[in-house]
Formats: sequence, structure tokens, C-alpha cells
Amino acid sequence: MKQFGTIFQFEMKSYIKNKIFTGVTAALVLVIAVVMFFPRITEAFGGGKEEDASGGAAASAEADNQAVILLSLSGIENADLVGQCFKQTFPEYTVTVSDSSLDEIKDKIAAGEVECAFVMDSLTSYTYYVNNLSMYDHKTAAADEALSSLYRMDAMMKNGISAEAAGEILSAEITHETENMGKDQAKNFAYTYIMIFALYMVILLYGQMVASNVATEKSSRAMELLITSAKPVSMMFGKVMASCLAGFIQLILVFGSAALFYQLNKSYWSGIGMIASVFNMPIHLLVYMLVFFVLGFLIYAFLFGAIGSTVSKLEDINTAVMPLTMLFVAGFMIVMFSMTSGEVDNIGMLICSYVPFTSPMAMFTRIAMGTVPLYEVIISIAILVASVVAVGYAAAKIYRMGVLLYGTPPKLKAILKAVRG
Amino acid sequence: MELEIRNICKNFGEKEVLKGVSFAASSGKAFGLLGRNGAGKTTSIRIIMNVFAQDQGEIFLDGKPIDYHTVKLGYLPEERGLYPKKKIIDQLLYFAQLNGMKRQDAVTSIDYWLERLKMTEHRNKRLDTLSKGNQQKIQLVTALAHDPQIIILDEPFSGLDPVNAMLLKDVVKEEISNGKIVLFSSHQMNYIEEFCDGIAILNGGQIVLCGDIVEIKHNYVRDKLAVRSADVKKIMQDQRIGGTMQENGELLIQLKSAEEKKEMMRLLTQTFDIDEIRVYEPSLNDIFVEYAGKQN
Repeated sequence: MKQFGTIFQFEMKSYIKNKIFTGVTAALVLVIAVVMFFPRITEAFGGGKEEDASGGAAASAEADNQAVILLSLSGIENADLVGQCFKQTFPEYTVTVSDSSLDEIKDKIAAGEVECAFVMDSLTSYTYYVNNLSMYDHKTAAADEALSSLYRMDAMMKNGISAEAAGEILSAEITHETENMGKDQAKNFAYTYIMIFALYMVILLYGQMVASNVATEKSSRAMELLITSAKPVSMMFGKVMASCLAGFIQLILVFGSAALFYQLNKSYWSGIGMIASVFNMPIHLLVYMLVFFVLGFLIYAFLFGAIGSTVSKLEDINTAVMPLTMLFVAGFMIVMFSMTSGEVDNIGMLICSYVPFTSPMAMFTRIAMGTVPLYEVIISIAILVASVVAVGYAAAKIYRMGVLLYGTPPKLKAILKAVRG
Repeated sequence: MELEIRNICKNFGEKEVLKGVSFAASSGKAFGLLGRNGAGKTTSIRIIMNVFAQDQGEIFLDGKPIDYHTVKLGYLPEERGLYPKKKIIDQLLYFAQLNGMKRQDAVTSIDYWLERLKMTEHRNKRLDTLSKGNQQKIQLVTALAHDPQIIILDEPFSGLDPVNAMLLKDVVKEEISNGKIVLFSSHQMNYIEEFCDGIAILNGGQIVLCGDIVEIKHNYVRDKLAVRSADVKKIMQDQRIGGTMQENGELLIQLKSAEEKKEMMRLLTQTFDIDEIRVYEPSLNDIFVEYAGKQN
């Protein structure tokens, strides 16, 4: 126990003294600070701009710079009405009605004089010309909507309905209310995503670190002396616990600073519901997060440590941990796909939420984004706890055997034998 | 104190590494554990260090089974290496604490040993900034700082320059005279001869020779003659005598048996011009080559 303390302290100290560890943490906190303060900063600068723009010259200059939409209305009735309609639909553009031929219009678009053109064939049909169709170009949708209401209005008026009545009919709005019995996925998605991603990053990062720490001790032959001074079990557990704590501290620092900066800038973020939902995450989810983080971390860290002990050279570590990393990434993918599809209770997720290697991510996602009966959560956690103990025990056995083996890595058979023996 | 290893056996899988190894080492004396590569030295040492358990046999200290909770052991492994990127004092403290020292005692002891080994100036440097010999001296501190009763040194002199070797010799002699049990393992027979009273030669996992060096040498079959002569070539050509030239210019003549000594001496002195003739005293090296070289 005393040895465990000494090892834990030593390992912990080397994390804190590690410039990369402290540097990355500081950089993350800084990035979060910038992001969280961003609306405040832009508002501070943006406010200044508006004042400048209030000068008349600047305003007209801005008007000149407005992108132009060409409208070809040759041969359709209600041409004036259509022109009006387009001007209302695209207030941020200068809408120009043009009689130019199609080729001329195309040339103008190609030359960049105008951004796009609507060539109307009839009230219900047009061709949209644009140079590069952007992913975010919603002009046709807007035009469709405007034109269809124009057409309906026109049709109703033709059938003897007054303009006011027609307008009322068209602008009738349906009101609705939603009463959600379970979780609101739209709201929960953001923080679940962030948490799962954090879990993924921390486990992979620290798992690899544990593995390479063990391999470094072996390759530098410090192990020869270590093994005579400390019990392998203390060595393994000291290392894993220290890395668990280091990862946890890093998470706390990053998320803690994010929460702090959010509180400082709360009023600037009020418009964005997603951000607010992240920081108003329910406490019981944080507790689940903590439980799944610690257990998930331990099970992987033990395995990474055991694998690290079977390689002799640092170069071999990447190939050796590959299967474990693959397993983890596969679990992560299943969870991510299920999350984005919204089907968090699909059969894959159900299975994954009981398999100890994926349950930290899968069960957490199901709790956060779906409705899971408590007994399922308890079963999942119980399986996970039992697996952590079993894996820790097996890993210590492998570690004992692995640390003094040099040369070719042991065969799977030998590893299994060590676990049993 | 007496450390006694009794009939230790150890298998790794199918491979029998140790087949009943027994020897004893007592305090105030150094004991040499010799053997070729793969003879089972490191395995024996690791069993003594309690890294893994023996399949059979026991280890006694003063007649009682050794209790690793109370006995402290110091070890300088043959494969040296500590943490290259860490500060020397930090890792020395780490190992001293792992070996059961309190932090404050560890600082005092480490500072003493750094001073003793003339390494104080490197105290706060990173290990990989030091030369190989100096790194080895740092590693020696990890073996000695916690004041162990049993010290195991595996090839302690390899890689040291003569000045440092001298320093280490003094330290080892000091430790021996302080009543420590010192276990040596080395291929450099001159050091073994210099320090050790008793030796054990391991071959193929078995002790093939064990005992006091002086006695071993004395009991060694005295069936060789060393001859110094101006007529060396003539002697070698003589059918009745033969012999092989040594590097030091002596001629070594193999007798058919030890009893043949007088007769052969007479023959030599009567036939040739002999400067010096004596019964050849085997060196530890010869003994080692003979016992450890045999394949079994």
C-alpha cells in the first residue's frame, strides 16, 4: 500500500511536471476562454462598427455593394406584382427587372456583375441561374414560397374572393404545443455529444500514455530495478490510478473553466439555446458521467498497461495497442451513429450498453438521450464494475509476466496462461 | 548473517532454468556467482530478490526462511537503466522510498552517496545528460542508498574507467567490512579473485563448482608445469614433452597425471637449459573455462 502511494505520487508528479500535459491543458483552457468570450468580444467591436455606419455616405456605399438579383419577367402577367414580391422576399438584395436576353444574363452572372437571376416562364415556373450553387443557397426555396402564395392569392382573387379575405386565408397560422414525456433529444444532443467525445479523447489519450509509460520503463531497463523494488501490482495500479486522476483533473479544468467562463458571459449567450443546455446539464447526468468515466477509464487503462508490458521497444507499442484501440473506436462509432440518427435505443446500443468495453459510452448516451429503467443502469454498472475488477486482476498477471520479457512479444497462449496461473 | 540458498529449482514453461541451485554467502565476505550467459545467474538473483517465486527450494537468512518485509536488498542489475528524462535526485528518491525509506532519511542518505561517489554536482541534472560511467554510478546509489543488508552487484565494473573502478572497489570493500553480504556476478575474473572469498559456478542451471577460492585452487588437479627456458622451441618439438606457449612467454606442459611431475621435471632439467620450472597454479579464469565451458 505504501509502495502504491509512492508510485502514485511519482507518476502523478511526472504528469504535472510534463510540459506537454500542462501545455495542452493550458491551451485547451485558453481556447475555451476565447470561445466563451467570443460573443462579448464581437459585440464590443461590432457595436463600434454600427456607429460608423450611421454616417450617410457609408450607408449608401453599403447599398451600392449589395448583390444584385436579375429578374426577367418577359411574357408573364402580373409582372409588377412579381417584381414587388421578389423585392420583399429578398430585402438584402437589389432586385433589378431586366429585359436582357438569356445570353446577356448568363454573361453578367459569369462576370460577377449580378449574383443570380430568376427567369420567369410563368407565375408557377422559372429557371434559376447562378454561377456557383452554394450549399447554403436557399433563394429558390424562398422564391418558391413567395411565388406560390402570390399564385394562390391571384387564383383566389380571380374566383371572387376579396384581397383581404384571401390574405387572411393565406396567412392563417397553426399553433401547436409539444408535451414531451421523456427526454428532449434536440436539447440533450449537444451535451451528450460533448461528454462522449471527452470520454473518448481522455480514454484513448491516457490509455496510450499508460501503455507507452510502461514500455518506456521496459525499454530504458528501469524495469530491471523497479521490479526488484516494487510489486508489479502496486506498479500497475499506481500508474493507472495516477493517469486516471491526471485525466480527471484535466477534464475538470477544461469543463470547469468552460462553466466559469460561461457564467461570466451568460447574458451574451442567451440567444443560443444549445449552449445554455450544455451548461444546464442535470446533476444526475454529471454523476453518471463521473461513474462511467472512472470505470471506463480503468478498464481500458488496465488493458493498455498490460499491453505496454508485453512490448520491449517503444516502436512496437502502436501495433500492439491497435486491436484495443479498434475495439474502442468501433464502440465509439456505434454510439455516435446511433446518437446522430436519434435512435439511441436500437439493438446495437442495447447490446453495447451491457458490454463492459462499450457500456460507459453507450449506457451514458442512452441515459442522457432516452429513457432507461433504473434496473438496466444498475445491471450495466454492475457488469462494468465486475469487469474492471476482473480486467485489473488479469492485467496485473500479464504485467507481472510481461515486464521481464524481452525480445519477441509473448504469444496469446502464453498470456492466457499467465492470467490463469 | 548468512544467506543460504537451498536446492532452488525454477522452470519457465517447459524450460528448466534452475535445477537445484544451492550456495551460501556470509556477511563480511563477498561471494561470486559465476557462469556463462544463460547459465541461470539472473534468474537466481531474481529469485533471491523475490521478483518471482522458485518452484522448489528455500532461501534462508541465519537459518530462518528469509522475510522480505524486514530484510533489505540492494541490486545493481546487469542491464542498467533508470529514467533518462527525469532529474537524478527525483528518481533516486523514488527508488529509495520504494525500498522503504522515509523521504527525509532518503535525502540524507542519497546526498551522502552522491558525495561519496563524487556525483554531487550532477544531483539536479537529468540522467541522460551524464556519461555512461556516471549513469552507472547513479544506478549504484539506488543499490546502496537504503542501506541494504544484502547487496547484489551484477557486473558492477563493466563500463567504468580505471579511476571509477578504483572508487567502486573502495566502496565495495567498505560495504564488505561493514558486515554486508555482497553477492557478485561478473565475467571479469580478476575482480572476482580480488574480492570474493567464495564462488559458485553455474552451468546449465546447476552449480558445478562451489567453495572457497583458495581451496578450490589448491584442490585443482596440479597436472601442469610452467616452464621458462631459452630452449622453448626444442622442448616443444620433443615428442615426450610437447606443451603450449602462453602469452607471457611461459611454456605450459600437460602431464599425464599429477604423479608424473617429478619425472617430467627431472627430464626437463637434465635435457634442456631451464630458467624456471614450477607446478602451474590455475587462475580463476582457467577454472571458470573448464567448469563453465562444459556443455551439459
